[in-house]
Amino acid sequence: MSTRQSLLPLFHRVVLRCVKNLVPVSERDEFLRSWHAELWHMNDCARRRRLSAIRLHLDLPLGVASDALWLRTHNLRRNLAGTPTLSIVSLLSLSLLSFAFAVLSYGGWHALGLYFTRQAEHCLVAVPIILFVSSAIASFSHVEVNSIRHTLRWINHLAFASLKTSLALLLMFLLSVCLSRPLYIPLPRAADLLQLLFFVLFALLAVRWSFHDQEQRCKQCLCSLATPARVGRPSHNLLEWTGTEQTCRQGHGRLSVPEIETSWHQYSRWIDQGSGLDPIASA
Amino acid sequence: MSPPRLSHSAALILKAISLGYCFGFDVMEITGLPSGTVYPALRRLERDELVESRWESEEDAFSSQRPARRYYQLTREGKAAALAATERYPLLARLLPEKHS
Repeated sequence: MSTRQSLLPLFHRVVLRCVKNLVPVSERDEFLRSWHAELWHMNDCARRRRLSAIRLHLDLPLGVASDALWLRTHNLRRNLAGTPTLSIVSLLSLSLLSFAFAVLSYGGWHALGLYFTRQAEHCLVAVPIILFVSSAIASFSHVEVNSIRHTLRWINHLAFASLKTSLALLLMFLLSVCLSRPLYIPLPRAADLLQLLFFVLFALLAVRWSFHDQEQRCKQCLCSLATPARVGRPSHNLLEWTGTEQTCRQGHGRLSVPEIETSWHQYSRWIDQGSGLDPIASA
Repeated sequence: MSPPRLSHSAALILKAISLGYCFGFDVMEITGLPSGTVYPALRRLERDELVESRWESEEDAFSSQRPARRYYQLTREGKAAALAATERYPLLARLLPEKHS
């Protein structure tokens, strides 16, 4: 690679050296090879056709950098899509953004702090009721009880669900605070009531989403399940089961969700594939 | 399946490749698009399986005394998308001349 790069002008070599660290290691060689060829052709063309050196020197670093950034973001998206980390980071980022917006709209820490302590008390009283109502009406009673057999997995599962739900509730609290802000000065009591109403409504939705999201995750790695496929026909319900199957991208298992509850397939079933059973899926 | 709807830049790049402009700088030169648009767009088109790339053999490149190029060509889906894009943006056909190799 170094002999290839030495054919390029110093400026282009410096640009490539700076930008290559943005590219994921697995794709770095290919990236450098591509850009070495492209830059060589550009320089050659510039020499032969007297292309503007300014255009070449201004445009190219931009192209190299945006190509490297694209590779990095594509790699991140591919690796993080559906992971519990992405879920938590997204919720945390949204909460921080909402918090910053709330601080700005209330005109500083002090005013927001006073409002927060008063409203947080009311909302904390509402949270157990919201959790109780959401649990009562959620469909997770349909998931087979012993689908998570290992203790460690169960702890991970519970920790992730608790963290996700807490962050979702925090986000909804901040959102309700921001939404009730316009009424805060003219009608403070109405603003307090509206904030509480908004919080209860949003929190119900958030907890419901959290439960649903938890069901749709792999019971081993907690990544979102993918490739939903319909199995069977509704008209053959008495002969075979009908429903949807979703699989884990890492090949850990699949979730069978019956469309109609029957005596022989009443619950959603998580079927563990075991390690190494599906090497194609895990590749 | 209907061909994907492409942005004007992506359609222009796809059209350029269909006319025989087959490596990054070639496409950049004929379309007049900046490198910051062309190279990520080529990656996206490749990810969406509208184009595929292959490396020129080292022997061919060596005989021309230059580094090997990465050539792009349209896939079957890419050809359908290029046709649909030409219908959507009729000026594309007039913007780009066919390449004389």
